[in-house]
Amino acid sequence: MDLVTLAIAATPSFIASAVEFVEATTIVLAVGLTRGWRAPLAGSALAALTLAAIIATLGVALVTVIPERFLLGLVGTLLLLFGLRWLRKAVLRFAGIVALHNEEEIYRREVAELRAQGLKKTEWDWVGTVVAYKAVLLEGIEVAFIVISFGAKGMTALNAAIWGAVAAGVMVIGLASALRQPLTAVPENLLKFVVGAMLTTFGVFWFGEGVGAEWPGDAASIPFILGGLLLACWLTVRLLRGILPEGARVEARNV
Amino acid sequence: MSKALRAVWDNTYGLLVDDGQLALGAIIALAVTWLVAQIGGDTVRENAGWLLYLMVLGLAVANIYRAGRSVHRSKMLR
Repeated sequence: MDLVTLAIAATPSFIASAVEFVEATTIVLAVGLTRGWRAPLAGSALAALTLAAIIATLGVALVTVIPERFLLGLVGTLLLLFGLRWLRKAVLRFAGIVALHNEEEIYRREVAELRAQGLKKTEWDWVGTVVAYKAVLLEGIEVAFIVISFGAKGMTALNAAIWGAVAAGVMVIGLASALRQPLTAVPENLLKFVVGAMLTTFGVFWFGEGVGAEWPGDAASIPFILGGLLLACWLTVRLLRGILPEGARVEARNV
Repeated sequence: MSKALRAVWDNTYGLLVDDGQLALGAIIALAVTWLVAQIGGDTVRENAGWLLYLMVLGLAVANIYRAGRSVHRSKMLR
């Protein structure tokens, strides 16, 4: 696979994984800057090892052992459930019904909680290790899920999805290390909206292929499925904004 | 041990299900698509993907709109 093809194949995984990396990095930064870096780095490394084991066993087994049709149906089902969940939340956020995801607010809350727990200089900081481990593992499981889902078409697709996730991780961690503050400039809510629509699109496409459906132009129909979904969601946002009283929107944004 | 398993289950479930009705609706749409593809002829099977697409569009819009309406109703009742 040449570099351009790899970049195109890796893009969905890159965008989706970047959102998850931003969320995990916010927590690890909060721990590191308030309690020192040794414990959160150890927790993050442990979580990364756990994730590598999950991808190596589940991902490769799924792609190489399970028959393709069944695998597409299974991954399509999981993607659809996962994607609709993201899409629903994103649309409700844009319509002003659910509070927008605010990385700075999450960072401040996490820092306050960690400071309140106190720190003994003589002991290993288990609180910091566990908080970082949980954050990296939970967000990382979503990354693993994204990689396995986008890579379900075979080893080439799996490699592209892995490269996309790795590039997102390097970029987000690199930026956060350089800036030493949460990446609030990343348009996370917009990205989640697009990623939710993308995951749902792939879910529909692959489940359809799994049951023997034929899409016109094969993968060329993906942009049309995605476009229709985005249009329907945008119309729903407009509709909801129209029916909600102004006060409800303001209150929801301040939750 | 059971507490740890429970936490793993809760996290896995939480990854996929936020609103029970939406998840149930999606599973029903998938089941209908699979059934239609199995019992229909070649033409029906080849177009089963579009059926799923339309059901998903309808499900997403209806579910999100219902969530918005319920917020609207709760505001009006206050």
